[in-house]
Amino acid sequence: MENTVQIITSFFASAGFALIFNVHGRKTLWIGVGGALSWAAYLFVNDVTGNMFMSLMMASAAVVAVSEVLARKIKVPVIMLMAPMLIPMVPGGALYYTMSYLVRDENAMFAESLRSLLLQAGAIAAGIIVTTSVMTNFFAIYYRVKSKKK
Amino acid sequence: MDDLLISLDRQNKLMQVMACILDIGATLLANGAEVMRVEDSVSRMCHAYGFKRADVFTVTSSIFLSATYADDNILSQNRRVAARGTDLEKVARANELSRRICACPLPLEELKEAVRGLDDAPVYSERFRFLLYGGIAAVFTVFFGGTLADSLAAGLTALVLFVAQKLGSRLRINSILLNTVCSGIAALTVLLLCRFGPGQNPDKIIIGNIMLLIPGLALTTSLRDMINGDTLSGLMGFCEAIIKALAIAIGSALVLYGLGA
Repeated sequence: MENTVQIITSFFASAGFALIFNVHGRKTLWIGVGGALSWAAYLFVNDVTGNMFMSLMMASAAVVAVSEVLARKIKVPVIMLMAPMLIPMVPGGALYYTMSYLVRDENAMFAESLRSLLLQAGAIAAGIIVTTSVMTNFFAIYYRVKSKKK
Repeated sequence: MDDLLISLDRQNKLMQVMACILDIGATLLANGAEVMRVEDSVSRMCHAYGFKRADVFTVTSSIFLSATYADDNILSQNRRVAARGTDLEKVARANELSRRICACPLPLEELKEAVRGLDDAPVYSERFRFLLYGGIAAVFTVFFGGTLADSLAAGLTALVLFVAQKLGSRLRINSILLNTVCSGIAALTVLLLCRFGPGQNPDKIIIGNIMLLIPGLALTTSLRDMINGDTLSGLMGFCEAIIKALAIAIGSALVLYGLGA
């Protein structure tokens, strides 16, 4: 039940942020679908492996892969699709709890949530970095091979 | 002397073309595109207009362009981008224009017209964005496990947040201070709504509003900059985003600490 609610709300969160970033037209809808699917991927991998770092990294890698391919198909900047789709993964909750435990002098909980915040941010960054470099190199080689064939 | 005059006129024209190209580059940079896309577009457009060499260097807020024309004229211009925002529609349009120019360079007057046209990109109305803020905060509160009452409170808080942001940017408050103040105001509103209004879990409601403030696009862009080898711009953007996130945390921390909640 909780998972379903999260998947549905992540659709609206991604699509809403696409509108905030001034994306127009049907793209907004697809960005919402992408956001929801990537969150579903996160929940699935998290369920199977139980490893939050791994699952966030996989989910952000999926977002990057999808937006790199789709952006070349419909000829828009990659960042237009990628940034709003990544929004549900942004660790706003961890940021808040870290801050609130710090203020309330609960050191053990503060350390725990700071660790979780850094882990989440690191996982997303790692997913983006690895996939972006793989995808850009792949497309560079792909276009070179394609232009040689002609 | 005559010869010199003709070349001056020509030089003037070339400078105007470069200014237009820089305008397109600045539009990309100011609205959230990566450094690599800016540099690549500017140098491609220069080549399309017959420059045989174009050296572009872009950092977070400036573009430096030095270009050699086919007749060995060397010209250079800088462009400083004052404010950076996020308008991906403008990025897409500038990108499309640059593709069009590379395929077939426009005459100078048409080029100027097209560059001016970039500012007419459609934007959503203020009222729509106001309601959107409320909607997104409400959705995020449910996402993070809040109840329906919480999501109502989050929506109301986000409307206050929107007004605070608008007022702050009209007063030209520095953006880091603005983030601190806005998250403080949001936290205060949430606490008030929890005491006298529908709110039940202040933490979930505040998180829903924090999500609106976190510089998600800046973080993504700076990561992509670093991967593309533009480490300097990437690091600067990354630092800026981290400082903003800290400012947001400090803003709500001050309120929570001050009220002992």
